[in-house]
Amino acid sequence: MRINPMVYGVLVLIVFIGVILGFQAAGVWSVSGKISSSGDQVQPVAGEVDTIKGWMTLEQISTTYNVPIADILKQFELPPDTSPSTAIKDLETDLFSVTNLRTWLQSRMQPAEAPQIISTSAAPIRQITSTPAVSAPVAPVPKEHVAADRTVTGKTTFQELLDWGIPRDAIQKVIGSDIPATSMVVKDFVTGKGMQFPTVKTQLQSLVDQTK
Amino acid sequence: MATHSQPLSVLSGRVKARKCGLKVLLTHNTFRRVIQLSFATFILYLIVQHALVGENSAAVTASPETYCPFGGLETLYKYITSGGAFVSHTHLSNVVILVAVLVTALLLRSAFCGWICPLGFLQDLISNLSSFLQKRIPRLRRAFASLRAHGVYWSVLDHYLRYTKYLILVWAVAGSAYYGYMVFRDYDPWATLLNLAEFSLTPGAIILAVILVASFLVERPWCRYACPLGAVSGLLGKLSPVYLKREDTACKVCQLCTKACPMGLPVHTATTITSADCISCLECVGACPRNGALEVKFGLPLIGK
Repeated sequence: MRINPMVYGVLVLIVFIGVILGFQAAGVWSVSGKISSSGDQVQPVAGEVDTIKGWMTLEQISTTYNVPIADILKQFELPPDTSPSTAIKDLETDLFSVTNLRTWLQSRMQPAEAPQIISTSAAPIRQITSTPAVSAPVAPVPKEHVAADRTVTGKTTFQELLDWGIPRDAIQKVIGSDIPATSMVVKDFVTGKGMQFPTVKTQLQSLVDQTK
Repeated sequence: MATHSQPLSVLSGRVKARKCGLKVLLTHNTFRRVIQLSFATFILYLIVQHALVGENSAAVTASPETYCPFGGLETLYKYITSGGAFVSHTHLSNVVILVAVLVTALLLRSAFCGWICPLGFLQDLISNLSSFLQKRIPRLRRAFASLRAHGVYWSVLDHYLRYTKYLILVWAVAGSAYYGYMVFRDYDPWATLLNLAEFSLTPGAIILAVILVASFLVERPWCRYACPLGAVSGLLGKLSPVYLKREDTACKVCQLCTKACPMGLPVHTATTITSADCISCLECVGACPRNGALEVKFGLPLIGK
């Protein structure tokens, strides 16, 4: 069967563009790492350094991983006056790269996780040792994580929620997954998972209020 | 799809009627150039837009690299084995466009190379400029004729160099799968061209310069010898039901088809043209002066009947 060359050209266009449009219609299309296939903004996820991309800014990294920008700049010998809005890939030097930053952040996270294991397992012991304090009134030792007014904010950590007496199960039910490193900021974790922080915050606050 | 009945078979072997006026432009060759130009313009728009808006802007612009089908091939292993992750500089769009190229190859041979690929179009433009200059500058014409006099040596070299693209394909795909990043990117002239706004002297920039210069001497040098995407497309195109058929009875072996072929294939000696190097540009069909001597046919894959 003979094919007219002009018709052949039309077929090429139909097949090529048709396949692409078909995938797009099915939602299988993304042209940027900054936007997921569902159209949501991609953010770095606290505790998961592999989610760091070159286009992310120093500010994003600092906020998500709780590292002062000054520490990053000092660690990698970058100019102290570097703008926080600079993409990390634009700062690449012999010493600084996305890979090096990931490794460094990962190493920083390791020691932070170790005490959590201790604190979780040591919780009952603390309760026992605190018993004499009832008979001998001693001013409570202020904990590093405990906020004074028990209000869930953008800086509240999972450790603080646990310290306020919210059961682990209840927190996990609200966030829809296991609690990651307890030193992690709730907002970072929640936004990293693509959830709305205000909604989660309201639910957690109601749990906090119930325990008061 | 047009089928010809009795009247055309009567015309078979006769010289094609000469076209006049606007009809001269209404050919598949013009149509092909329009399609190539459209895709090249789209890519140019992406390059300019991305360069003007910049990476750090709040507005998200697509990098032109996200429209490269070969990026899809380089990231395919990681995409499958990691459950949806990509190597750097690639996205879902690369995989989708790769699928589109492969489906096109499976149905219509390497039509992507001949009708769509902007890098192929760029080489075509330079080759056309070369032909234009040769017609107007006698000294240049003589220099090229002198080069062609050594055709035997060139044809031997040409024959073996064509296998290079398969080696590059294996290295680029296997390397990306093994190391987790695009090992070919620094050598890729297309990636260099797309990132011209942030130019740096990479091996890819040197290869791009070599290709552009070589296009003055040889048509589509990158496609002939080095394009790994063309290698995949060509191999897959072997399974396509579409092929080119030369009718011995109608053909007068004028060799105009062979001269017109940008990939340097010996069209005038073949009965069915199913070479993996054929980019289905149909320049040979357009150049053929006789009705029914060279046609695009639809038949059974592999055997071409």
